[in-house]
Amino acid sequence: MTKKQKIEVKPGTCIPWEQKLKEIPEISGDKTLTREVWEDIDALGYMYIWQCLLSF
Amino acid sequence: MAKDMERLYTERLRRYITAMRNEKPDKIPIRPFVAEFTAKYAGYTCQEVTHDFEKAFDAARKCAADFDWDAVVANMVYVWTGLTQAIGIKYYAIPGIDLSQDTPFQYREPPEDTAFMKPDEYDQLIEDPTGFLFNVWLPRVSADVSPIDEPTSFRSNLSFLKGGMAMMKYFAAFGTQNALLRSESGTVSAISGILKAPFDILADKLRGYIGLTMDLFQCPDKVLAACEALMPHLTHVALSSADPDKNVPIGFWMHRGCVPFISHEHFNKLYWPTLKPIIEEIWSHGHQVLFYAEGDWNAHLKSFTELPDQAIVYHVDKADIFEAHKTIGHKFCISGGIPNFLLGFGTPNEVRDYCRKVIDGVAKEGGYIMDASAIIQDDANVENIKAMTDFTREYGVY
Repeated sequence: MTKKQKIEVKPGTCIPWEQKLKEIPEISGDKTLTREVWEDIDALGYMYIWQCLLSF
Repeated sequence: MAKDMERLYTERLRRYITAMRNEKPDKIPIRPFVAEFTAKYAGYTCQEVTHDFEKAFDAARKCAADFDWDAVVANMVYVWTGLTQAIGIKYYAIPGIDLSQDTPFQYREPPEDTAFMKPDEYDQLIEDPTGFLFNVWLPRVSADVSPIDEPTSFRSNLSFLKGGMAMMKYFAAFGTQNALLRSESGTVSAISGILKAPFDILADKLRGYIGLTMDLFQCPDKVLAACEALMPHLTHVALSSADPDKNVPIGFWMHRGCVPFISHEHFNKLYWPTLKPIIEEIWSHGHQVLFYAEGDWNAHLKSFTELPDQAIVYHVDKADIFEAHKTIGHKFCISGGIPNFLLGFGTPNEVRDYCRKVIDGVAKEGGYIMDASAIIQDDANVENIKAMTDFTREYGVY
């Protein structure tokens, strides 16, 4: 992947929604709901590793 | 009864917040950071409160109910080793397994040549800190997690499953613990959330202190870039774990960034420029940060005055608390300063005398919270803790 194509991984994120979106069929239902649920649960993965580093 | 407890809680919260805003409350708030002392008082071993967080919670609540304290940390024996063991984390010595059941848990920093991050891995960390932690750091600190280029294993898969579920269980239990502290004894949960300085994280968990001191001379630009790469993540974790009501501060545990661990030059060029913007950002969201200044950070007090008024609560450990008050007391609330050795090996009269000295020198205009210098472990004498508490209640009335 070239630098231009690379998706920025922001704090709070492990796998950005933009990246996941490329892997799934076109969403026919509520796009916002799908995105929010993905991001909420992805944030738990982020919390896991950073809490391991900081708290434990 | 419940109404009385709620009234007591409200009164204590107001007292605690007023002092933290560097103002004068009705009385000096008492907020001792009691760790393994709670086990000693409640009749548990260090193993029990470290490995079974429900026992730790119970011990904290028992102390909160029996002592007249305004606020406590819900569990100051914070590292639940049941969780770290489930993940396979190697760097803790666990009471009852690696240590006697009566010894508090210990952090075992690896020797320089087996540091969790190698000196040539800075670019990888800088490029993608979260990816580095998952792919490089975690397999090194865990006995169970497979390295990224090796096949996974039963133990590796279980580490994530058990670790994730155990972490959720632990964090969720704090909600109940905080509610019980409030309803059973009217006690405020003293802090919420966690922050560490970018430099300290490099020193504590990645390069190790010795390795990092070498890097400061061999690749200072990489160290700075790594600190800068960590900044947005540490800010994010601090804000996402902060008190939504913005009453209690985020705990900030300060380790290796002060003179003489590093030089003034390194503090001024690396440590402070990568910490100060984090504190400013957090304060812009309305959250205070509790600087838990372990050791002696008085060489850096002038730098801390650059922060906005009230942005921090400054906890004094081994430093001269009177000098700290003189330099930053006009801007920030100060806590602590009662020597742990006195609480462990002094007499109640000596404790009372020292508390009087600190109150007279630091607390005249408010903006002071009574506490020991460092976290209170099982070497503290119960009578001395009572003396600190009772004297402050009698003498610390405005």
